[in-house]
Amino acid sequence: MDIPYGTLDLLILKSLETMGRLNGYALARRIEQVAGESVQLSQGAVYPALIRLQQEGWIRAELGVSETNRQVKFYSLTAAGRKQLRIEVANWEKGAALVARFLQGSAR
Amino acid sequence: MTIRRLLARVLAVARKRAHDHELENEIAAHLEMAERDARESGMTAGEARRAARQRFGGIEQMKEEHRDRRGVAWLENLARDFLHGLNLLLRDPGYTAMVTGVLALGIGANVAMFSLVDALLLKPLPFADPDRIVRIWESPRPGATNSSSTLDFLDWKRMSQSLEAIAAESPVSVALTGTGDPVRLTGKAVTADYFRIFPAAAAIGRTFAPGEDEPGAAPVVVLSHSTWRTHFDSDPGILNRKAMLDGEPYRIAGVTPVDFAGGDEVQFWKPLIFTAGMRTRDFHWLSVHGRIRKGATLVEAQEELRAIHASLQSLSPAWKRDWKIVMEPLEQVLVGDGQRRSMLVSFGAVVLVLLIACANVANLVLAKGAARRNEIAIRMALGASAGRLIAQSLAESLGLVLLGGLAGLSTGWVVIRAAVPYLPASMGYQSAPAFDGRVFAFAAAVALGVSVLIGMLPFLQTLFAKSGRTGALSGKQGLGVRGASGANLGVRRAIVITEVALSLMLISGALLLFRTLFNLEGLETGIRIENVVTASIDLPPQSYPAPARAAAFYESLMERVRAIPDVEAAGLSTFLPLRWIGNGEGLLAPGLASAINVRFKRVDPGYFSTMGIPLRGGRGFTDRDHAAAPGVVVINDALAAHLGEAAGWTNVLGQSARLTTPRYTDRKGDLREVEIVGVIRSERTAGPGRPDPLVVYVPLAQAPSPGVELLVRARPGAATVLPAVRAALRQVDPLLPLGKTMTMEEVRDTNLSGVRRPAWLIGVFAGVAALLASVGLFGVLSQVVFLRRREIGIRMALGARPRQVVSGVLRSAMAMVAYGLGLGLAGAAALSSVMKNLIFGVSALDPAGLAAACGAMAFIGLAAGSLPALRAARVDPVTTLREE
Repeated sequence: MDIPYGTLDLLILKSLETMGRLNGYALARRIEQVAGESVQLSQGAVYPALIRLQQEGWIRAELGVSETNRQVKFYSLTAAGRKQLRIEVANWEKGAALVARFLQGSAR
Repeated sequence: MTIRRLLARVLAVARKRAHDHELENEIAAHLEMAERDARESGMTAGEARRAARQRFGGIEQMKEEHRDRRGVAWLENLARDFLHGLNLLLRDPGYTAMVTGVLALGIGANVAMFSLVDALLLKPLPFADPDRIVRIWESPRPGATNSSSTLDFLDWKRMSQSLEAIAAESPVSVALTGTGDPVRLTGKAVTADYFRIFPAAAAIGRTFAPGEDEPGAAPVVVLSHSTWRTHFDSDPGILNRKAMLDGEPYRIAGVTPVDFAGGDEVQFWKPLIFTAGMRTRDFHWLSVHGRIRKGATLVEAQEELRAIHASLQSLSPAWKRDWKIVMEPLEQVLVGDGQRRSMLVSFGAVVLVLLIACANVANLVLAKGAARRNEIAIRMALGASAGRLIAQSLAESLGLVLLGGLAGLSTGWVVIRAAVPYLPASMGYQSAPAFDGRVFAFAAAVALGVSVLIGMLPFLQTLFAKSGRTGALSGKQGLGVRGASGANLGVRRAIVITEVALSLMLISGALLLFRTLFNLEGLETGIRIENVVTASIDLPPQSYPAPARAAAFYESLMERVRAIPDVEAAGLSTFLPLRWIGNGEGLLAPGLASAINVRFKRVDPGYFSTMGIPLRGGRGFTDRDHAAAPGVVVINDALAAHLGEAAGWTNVLGQSARLTTPRYTDRKGDLREVEIVGVIRSERTAGPGRPDPLVVYVPLAQAPSPGVELLVRARPGAATVLPAVRAALRQVDPLLPLGKTMTMEEVRDTNLSGVRRPAWLIGVFAGVAALLASVGLFGVLSQVVFLRRREIGIRMALGARPRQVVSGVLRSAMAMVAYGLGLGLAGAAALSSVMKNLIFGVSALDPAGLAAACGAMAFIGLAAGSLPALRAARVDPVTTLREE
């Protein structure tokens, strides 16, 4: 399956919280690994999401050197980003719980 | 979207190139790492590269999404289109210069006019809470306003609750000595509340304190900033000095701030102290202003004052029992209806000029747009949205309008700078016309409007052109051009027709005003004004305490003035000819039911002959009508007619009447027996269309006045006689300065300036409009000929004569002009009700004027058509036919 709409931001924020600093490639790999075979991610899709999160001020980008010896951006969470992550996680859990209850109710 | 992100996105637009570069780098690094990992898992180099790309997904889509996410697409497009538009302008400097020039004229005229209208009509008065300031008049009959008497003013002051301050003022003129040559200063005597109504934070010292207008208070004076600067050398220690006014020392209380309104004409203020002699109800000499208390309304204040007036009516002299009281907001008083109307008409004229300028620019843009129609059509065919194309067109025209707007602002600035010295000070400006934020905002709004107007055109033209897409896409240049002769030309024809119509309206309006001006100049003023100079003389009461002294002074002054070799005649009068005559007095005569209110003018025996005022019957004054002789008066024929009607006299000459006559210094009048010895033709005292007031002339010797106007007629061709007059005055009284001097032409012109101003302004605008219209006409006709060159070529190859070609082109030109004239005539008819109030002696639909305006436009059309027509005739059939 594809990544559910609107969850990529959450996945990125959560990955950065867990892993600290990551470059774009490592971030895409990390999401793939955690998701396992269950999702299909076009790795390039993280970049538009990253610029948006950066503009919101939730993540910051610093230049670093990649494993291939190239200058690339490394992303990490900001304080605002941590807060946003908590909000998004809470929202997600609320939403998921609602959907779960709803599905249970219909099943009965 | 959070504000932070919005800001980041807008900023991202500016850093587009850097962002794109960074992204490229990220993608490359990403693919590199992915490839390396893939190879480590055992793939070949080729497999690894393919796998990496596949895992990455669509690179171009991603880039596009990245751009969309980070920036603001429309802003990016706008910036790009704007730069593209500027680039186009740079590539065609001739076109750019033309459009900029036309817009500079249109916008410049509007900016200049706006700053005038703003200063005159829109800006609030420069006083705190200006809407609470009112002017209060006594009113003898509906529509007429009169000054107030002392006791009436004091009653209002005592009893009014709704006015927090009320002050009376009267103009005064004094000789300032001890600061070099004696000079005459004009100022105001005001009661102490004056500066509570017109608050001024004194630049130095203070304004008046309560009680300084009580009898016995020490004499103090407040100087205007310019008086302090000019006559006291901006002395910072001014408060320790005294001002010698009419030979009396005045303590200087303070100096008004530099921008105090009205400070230019008023050179000083002194307290107005009512002496016992001034406390009357029958002498009207005070201008009264009030300030309405916070919380009270104008209507409440008006009603209260009316009630006060009614309760005191029994105290009034019998002849003014039916007088009313009028309270008007000051703003309304300062800018009269006529002035407001003339300003709005002038403003309307410049708006027409702007519309014509827009039409011209639109024409140029269309001509240019014809070349770009293919581009627009292709982009539409490829799926560009209408909105996107309009946005592009607008962004491109923005550059054009920015240039035009800047040029317009500069033009407007130059015009205002050039015009300000010629604007009459009497226009009642709340503040000088200035280039401030309001004017810039107006210019920006106009430029934006113009930009939208002309930016939409090329697009609309393509959208609605029948041959638009298909014609352009058929790929043949020829078809495009021929297609253009359809819709494109239709739009441009409509524009030219509109231009002709608007120009006709302007030109005919200007002609009407010029004819009005001409009628007014030729107007029978009732007097001879050539070679006459006037000067005011005011006798300080200290040196001339008694009327006999004044009479002696006038006698010896006039003797010396008449002896000046270049002087043909000289006279004295208490009011200038052609000017309003103040001071209503009561005239009682046997046979009259009640006293009639008449204007009162004191003149010397030389006045009537100097001004060439003809006698209608009886005699004028002579030296024998001195103080000891029986009282005599001369009346104007308006009063003679009125008396004939009201009293039933068949002959007014020799009749006797009783007339209230003001005393020399105090403000009391005596009822005196006089005999009517002569009737003169009425002098004009106001603009045209007003009835002549009823005027009584009294010999100056029998009712001397401390202030008079000296009128001196020089021999034709003589140099100015003023220096000799000054010398004569110095011989009689070395301490007395000559007051304000004017020629009679100037006196007349200030009276007529209400008409003269819009006439000249609209005349200039009409000229500009005609110029623009002819340029537009010429442009369109040239284009028509160019587009029809193939057809003309074929015709000529088939044997058409050049003359037929010329007449064909001219005929199409004249058809456009004719439509335009028809529309313009309709427009002029629609505007005639507005013009009616501004013109004099000519009909608002003056056939001669309209014919002349039509003729002028037809001539312009003919001239603009001839050149393209002749060019058409010279077309070589072979060349044009070979072109395709």
